[in-house]
Amino acid sequence: MRTQATGRSLGLLLCLDCHSIVRDAKLPHSRCPRCDARLHVRKPHSLAVTTWLVIAAAVLYVPANVLPVMDTHTIFDDENDTIMSGVLVLLHSGSWPIAVLVFIASIVVPLLKILVLAVLLYSVWRRSPRRRLQRSGLFRMVEFIGRWSMLDIYAISLLATLVQVRSFASIIVGWGAWAFGAVVVLTLVAARTFDERLLWDDA
Amino acid sequence: MPAVIVCPACDLAHRRTPEPVRGRTQCARCRAPLQRPHTGSVDAAIAVALSACVLLFLSNAYPLVVMHVNGSSRHTTLIGAALGLYRQHYATLAALVILTTVIAPMLQVAALLYVLIPLRHRRRAPGLNAVLRILTRMRLWSFIEVFMLGSLVALVRLAKFSDIVPGIALWSCALLMLALASLSSMTSPGQLWRWIEQSGE
Repeated sequence: MRTQATGRSLGLLLCLDCHSIVRDAKLPHSRCPRCDARLHVRKPHSLAVTTWLVIAAAVLYVPANVLPVMDTHTIFDDENDTIMSGVLVLLHSGSWPIAVLVFIASIVVPLLKILVLAVLLYSVWRRSPRRRLQRSGLFRMVEFIGRWSMLDIYAISLLATLVQVRSFASIIVGWGAWAFGAVVVLTLVAARTFDERLLWDDA
Repeated sequence: MPAVIVCPACDLAHRRTPEPVRGRTQCARCRAPLQRPHTGSVDAAIAVALSACVLLFLSNAYPLVVMHVNGSSRHTTLIGAALGLYRQHYATLAALVILTTVIAPMLQVAALLYVLIPLRHRRRAPGLNAVLRILTRMRLWSFIEVFMLGSLVALVRLAKFSDIVPGIALWSCALLMLALASLSSMTSPGQLWRWIEQSGE
């Protein structure tokens, strides 16, 4: 296949902050003449930083799903909810659309993000030439859906704040919620440190 | 204007063509969006930003939800929800919630107004670069739309054992979500810089 002209091959640098194009940048300590952002040919140490963030997220994914996110104390009983059992509670109380929504946002999305990022990192590391367009699409999907896994954190914060009725019912936040929040933040940051241009670099 | 544009997603160089009238142009190789039409004006962006300001005030000043249970009632505001986490010793989670629902949207709107109002008089705001940098960072962490859906989930779970009345802030949050979404699409970095460069001539 014919090699295509890229910014790198033409000596043109794109400022990721303001999208201006810089010619003859004096790297590595160059700044964008228009908006003064630091310029890099590729995000610095993208592969290493993203790999560590994804590993950290994968490790914390376990406590996030095993530890309870909320303990509900009522006069009738005590209930420890993990993320999955929270979904089941919603399902049994008859609100299945909400249950599906929480299942997707809290279980599927974080897992999908970790897996997709891991696959992308591995493919860049192996310099795989295959299915670049699909991988690029996967990355864009991960970027787009990432924020939606915050949903459960917000729901928990509202529940734990409102349900503090002395002797009737109270909700205590569990460490699972902390681990879950950490997974969400780590995967969000990982998607930003990953330089998607790496997927195309030796095309 | 350089004669070349570079795809931000795959680095492929393209010859610059006139901006599309509608829709968008996309990268020939990775199909990432490249150019959007020039629509909207500084005035329109300021108008949306000002309404976002009002909605931000309403969303933070009034209760989100009022709950009636056993003859007593409880309510919470947007910041109250984060403080609830703080009171249970989850300071990091509380900070994350405050950042994504209060601080980021506020800074986003404030930074935009700070940049846009002088632009209207063809002036550049002092410290423009730093403010725009805050704006781009804050945009990435402003999650009002996710919060909306999250509070919906909380309401469904609460409705099981108490009477729930949605507060004013819940409605204004819903509108704020729309205002921030249209504001983001009206003031992409490319569009902002186009206005800034026009003001310098």
